[in-house]
Amino acid sequence: MQRPVTTLRLSPQIKVKVLNAGFQTLDDVMQVSALELSREAGLSQEEALEVLQVARKEGGADGGGAGDGASLTALDLLQKEEALTRIVTFSSRLDAALGGGLPVGKITEICGVPGMGKTQLCLQLAVDVQVPPCFGGLGGQVVFIDTEGSFVVQRAVDLATAAVRHCTLLAEEAEQRDAAAAFTVETILSNIFMVRCHDYVELLAEIYLLPDFLSSHPKVRLVVIDSVAFPFRQHFDELRAQRTRLLNGLAQQLISMATKHDVAVVLSNQMTTRLQGGQSQLVPALGESWGHAPTLRLLLRWAGSQRQATIFKSPDCEEATVNYQITTDGFRDDDRSEQPPSKRPRTLAGQSAAC
Amino acid sequence: MVLLREGMCPGLDEDFVRRLRDAQVKTVEDLVSSDMEDLAQKCSASYKALIAIRRVLLAQHAAFPVSGADLYDELLSSTAILSTGNPDLDALLDSGVYTGEITELAGGPASGKTQVCLGVAAHVSQHLRQNVIYVDTTGGLSAGRLRQMLRTQTSSDDEQMEALQRITVHRAFDIFSLLDCLYRLGGDGGGGGGLRQASSHGGSVKALIVDSVSAVIAPLLGSRHDEGMYMKSQVAITLKAMAKDFNIAALVTNHVTRSVEGEVQPGLGVSWSHVPRTRVLLERLPDADIDRPTRRCATLIKSSRRPCLIRAELDLQWWSRSERDTSGKRKLDRADS
Repeated sequence: MQRPVTTLRLSPQIKVKVLNAGFQTLDDVMQVSALELSREAGLSQEEALEVLQVARKEGGADGGGAGDGASLTALDLLQKEEALTRIVTFSSRLDAALGGGLPVGKITEICGVPGMGKTQLCLQLAVDVQVPPCFGGLGGQVVFIDTEGSFVVQRAVDLATAAVRHCTLLAEEAEQRDAAAAFTVETILSNIFMVRCHDYVELLAEIYLLPDFLSSHPKVRLVVIDSVAFPFRQHFDELRAQRTRLLNGLAQQLISMATKHDVAVVLSNQMTTRLQGGQSQLVPALGESWGHAPTLRLLLRWAGSQRQATIFKSPDCEEATVNYQITTDGFRDDDRSEQPPSKRPRTLAGQSAAC
Repeated sequence: MVLLREGMCPGLDEDFVRRLRDAQVKTVEDLVSSDMEDLAQKCSASYKALIAIRRVLLAQHAAFPVSGADLYDELLSSTAILSTGNPDLDALLDSGVYTGEITELAGGPASGKTQVCLGVAAHVSQHLRQNVIYVDTTGGLSAGRLRQMLRTQTSSDDEQMEALQRITVHRAFDIFSLLDCLYRLGGDGGGGGGLRQASSHGGSVKALIVDSVSAVIAPLLGSRHDEGMYMKSQVAITLKAMAKDFNIAALVTNHVTRSVEGEVQPGLGVSWSHVPRTRVLLERLPDADIDRPTRRCATLIKSSRRPCLIRAELDLQWWSRSERDTSGKRKLDRADS
């Protein structure tokens, strides 16, 4: 198959010039030198060189295929997936339903009405990801992007204190005791990188810069955006199409980053009302197409006086609902009532545990 | 439109090409569309030679007719129908996805598009023992889930591993990466793991899955530039060419949009609707949340074989049902009777 030059990763202006000079396919371009190309197409020498570099890279003259689209088999992927530790939530039921916690390298979205504990769960995860490896954690660092101003450092201290206490109680072997001694509230707080973004431009700019930050901080295993909805729900009344486009671009950047740097991306999202057939319905905000962005979607909601978390979208887990509560120590299982943990019969739970 | 080069056809030597270029004739298209008498004068070449060159070039670049009977023979000998592994979906699609065609799955979030893709990949790789190329653009591919699906088909670890190895995964998170990846697959060598090469060392590639095609195209649409539209059509052309040239079944996924009336329709607009030969819309059942969360409703919204708008209910659990669990089967029998 002949590849048209117009499909190359080049600016539209350059492509038009090359095309007008009669160069249609990759082969056409590869047969000329940079000098000829710049003369023929009226490009500057730098531009001509750029065209040829891109063309050679894709033309496979030097073997090709080494780029980011490099292929691997599903078996390689499985081994990679198994090698990545999941981030526990400190709610054993939710962890079990998720197959061991939140996956690293994927996007997880937490949706819920105000007061459901979205930010609490985000903070909990920011602490949990730092649990030392000998306790089954990742010992990683966190980038916490706060768009709502809801990051309360006092709460982070509460959760960190509880996590430290938990690990100290668990410590048995010498290695674990050493790790527990080094796992203090101060280290936890110093491993959280807080970024405050006030509007969507700042958020987008931060996301563009984040890959560099991740390269220089290879221990970061979690990026939290709390919340993604807030900056995108203002100033966009007239510009719905632009918002959708920006959000779609953001989603692709996030998943690309998550895959490349092996970080978990956790987003929180608000709920909105959709009117359909005269009925109103609470759905996650930011529109229908945004729903495809997260790999995993968690819905937090009230069922009576009970907080429930539902796995709504996931490629590898069953849909499941678990009860939880928010305590002083953070996000925990809710064991108050003796009724079965789920209103929904989890008949297929046996299979979900395998994932 | 191809650049004129020496040696393209007899009579077109270096000197001739230079003279043509001086007369502003650079491409085959320029040559074919210019007036021959004028051109002969301009570059002081013989009229006869020019006509001869034009005839050869036209013959080289023209498409040629194929008789319907030959086409039918080719269809019988080369077209394969790949079962999706799910009987309900197979029934809807007239027994499976066809090679040489693009089949599209459209649906909202959590409507089961990725599950169907994974199910098809697992089935084609394990049951039909064919190679699968899986292009993941959203990070939705979970090898753990694939393994789970394979486990229900065979209990042998070795066979599961072999099946996983037959699935090649490419990850492309923007449109250029996707095109790079497709052209690399379609290219004829260079060690890039092209389709030709793959078929030469044992087993042929029968399925190409792109999940999702809309995720990489959507960020380009809606801006003032028409770059997005152009890229969309390039993806369409490339996918079509690959499906036809290599005789593989292309399965792509698309998101949905809601019209003003609240009606659900596949995304990427009207121009894309001509690309897939078969389109299936997947939806969650409105009342099924409580007791059967894995049941989905599939509607055939475009097909050249079956009446459109027929609906089927399918169970995403089917691909990972255990041998002992026959509830899915029972449900089916009940539906049949």
